[in-house]
Amino acid sequence: MTFEPQGENRFIVPIGPQHPALKEPGHFEFVVDGEIVTGASVRLGYVHRGIEKGAEDRTWTQNLYLMERICGICSHIHATAFVQGVEKLAGVEAPPRARAIREIFAELERIHSHMLWLGVAAHEGGFDALFMYSWRDREVVMDMLEMLSGNRVHYSANLIGGVKYDIPLEMMDKIREGLNYLEERLLHYLDVVNNDETFIGRTRGIGTMTREQAQLLGAVGPTARASNFAYDVRVDAPYAAYAEFPVEMVVAKEGDLHARFVVRILETMESIRVLRRIFDNMPESELVTRVPRRIPAGETISRVEAPRGELFYFIASNGGEKPERVKVRTPSLCNWGTVITLAVGHKLADMPMILAGIDPCFSCNDRLVMVKRNRQDPQVWTWADLRNYGIEYYR
Amino acid sequence: MSATEQILQNAQNLLQPFAQSFNSPEPNRLDVFLRRENLLPAIKALIEARWGYLSTITGIDRPAATVEAGQTPVEGEIEVLYSFCSGAAVVSLRVRVPYSDAVLPSICPLIPSATLGERELMEMFGVRAEGTPDTSRLILADSWPEGVYPLRKSFVPPARVSGAAEGG
Repeated sequence: MTFEPQGENRFIVPIGPQHPALKEPGHFEFVVDGEIVTGASVRLGYVHRGIEKGAEDRTWTQNLYLMERICGICSHIHATAFVQGVEKLAGVEAPPRARAIREIFAELERIHSHMLWLGVAAHEGGFDALFMYSWRDREVVMDMLEMLSGNRVHYSANLIGGVKYDIPLEMMDKIREGLNYLEERLLHYLDVVNNDETFIGRTRGIGTMTREQAQLLGAVGPTARASNFAYDVRVDAPYAAYAEFPVEMVVAKEGDLHARFVVRILETMESIRVLRRIFDNMPESELVTRVPRRIPAGETISRVEAPRGELFYFIASNGGEKPERVKVRTPSLCNWGTVITLAVGHKLADMPMILAGIDPCFSCNDRLVMVKRNRQDPQVWTWADLRNYGIEYYR
Repeated sequence: MSATEQILQNAQNLLQPFAQSFNSPEPNRLDVFLRRENLLPAIKALIEARWGYLSTITGIDRPAATVEAGQTPVEGEIEVLYSFCSGAAVVSLRVRVPYSDAVLPSICPLIPSATLGERELMEMFGVRAEGTPDTSRLILADSWPEGVYPLRKSFVPPARVSGAAEGG
C-alpha cells in the first residue's frame, strides 16, 4: 500500500480501515482536487480469513458449515450456492418441499438484508429517523427467522441433499401476519424515499451509472438493476423453487442513488408477494434425499442471487471426501469496481452515500483476521469524519 | 435449440478462431481452452459482440504429478478461468501457465474492473497480470512474505505442519 501523491497538486484523503460508522473494515483513498474526487482506490483484506484454502482441508459436510459463516447477513444463500453445486456434482436433486423451504429462507433473508441496508444507507446520509424505524421493523423478520430456526443469523437450514427442518402451517400463518405489517411499512418508506425533499436532494442524480457502465464494470444485483441492466439469477437461471414460484425482476432506468433505494424497496415487496404464493401452494414431499459421502470427480459452477447480487461458486471435486477447490466470488467484490469508477467527478461529501449505495459487505469478499497497526496520522479521516463532513456540507 | 444453447453456440462461433478446443461439461456451460496469446483477442471478441459480462476470474493450482522412474518430470501449472455469464449460460476461457513463467496479459484495458480479480490472482497464486494498473496488496496482510502463494497446493498452513509433527 503506498501513500505517495501522484502529482504536484493532488491531495489524498485516506479513510479507514477502521471507521465507527461503517460497521466493517475497509480502506479507501480518494484523490481530490478541491472538493471534487479525481481518483479512488480500495484496499480490502482486513477480515480475510482464508476460507477458500480452509475448504480444501475439510469434508464436504464440514464445508457446508464453513460456507455459511462467510457472511453473517446472507449465510443462507452461501450455503444454498454450495449445496446446490455439490448436489449437481453428485447427480442428485433436493425434494420439492426442501427446495421451496430454501426459497422461503432466501426471501426472508433478502427482506432482512434490504431493510438493514435501508437503515445503514439512510444513516450515512444523516437520516437517522429512517434508520431507526427501518431497523425497528427489521426485527419483525428477524423474529420470524428465529421462530423457524432458533437463530437470528445462522439459520442453517440447508443440508447437502435437502433441508434440516420443516415449516409447519402455524408458523406460516404467523409469518403472514408479520409480512402484512412489513408491507404496510415498506409502502411508507417508498413514500418517504420518493417524496421527502431533503432525501431526494441527496440521492437524485448522485452516483449515476449508465447501463453500459454497469455492464462493463460488472455490476451485479440491485446496483445493476437500478441502472436498467436487467439480470437476476433467480429469473435467468432459476434454482431452488424459483421455477415453480417465480419472482418478477425489478429494474429502474435512472441509475442514480435514488433508483437504488427504489429498486431495493420494491424488491423487498416482491419477496413478500412470492412468500405468500409459496405458503398458498406449499409442495408436499420428504425433506432430504440421500447423497454419497464421496462426491464424484468433476467441476461445477453454481450461481445464486444473494441480496447484493450474483453469488458465484466454482466447485471442483477429485472424487474424494474433500473438495479440490472452492472459489467464492461474492457480489460486493463486483460492485466495488463500480464505486472506484463512479466516485470520480463527484463531491467528496457524496462519498459516504455512494459507498453505502452498493450495500458493501466486507466479510463476504475478504474472508484472515488481521489487526492493523494504529496509525497516528492526522491526515487519516475516520468514516465518522467523512460522514459528518457530508452532512455538514449539505446542511 | 433452447435459448441457452443458442447463446452458447454464439459464443462458440465467436471464439472459434482463438480456441484450441471446446468442452461442455454441463448443459449451460462451455469451456474454451486457449493459449495465453489468444486471451485478449478472445475477450475482445466477446465484448465487441456484447456477449454477457465477466463474472469472475478463478485460479486453480495444477501441481506436477509425482514422477516415476525413467519419466521426464513435468512442471506444475496454474490454470486460470475467466468466466463470462449471459443469462443461464456460462463460458469459461481456460488458460494454463507454468510456474516458471506464470504471467498473463492484464485484461484491464478491455474490462477495467478485472483489476480486483487480477490482484487476487497475483497474491493467491503468484500469476502476474502484466500491465494491471495497481499491483499493491488487495487481500493479504502487508506483513505477508513475498513469494508465498496461499492457494497453491504446496502451501501448507502452519497449524497443519505442527499437527503432522505430532503424528496427527
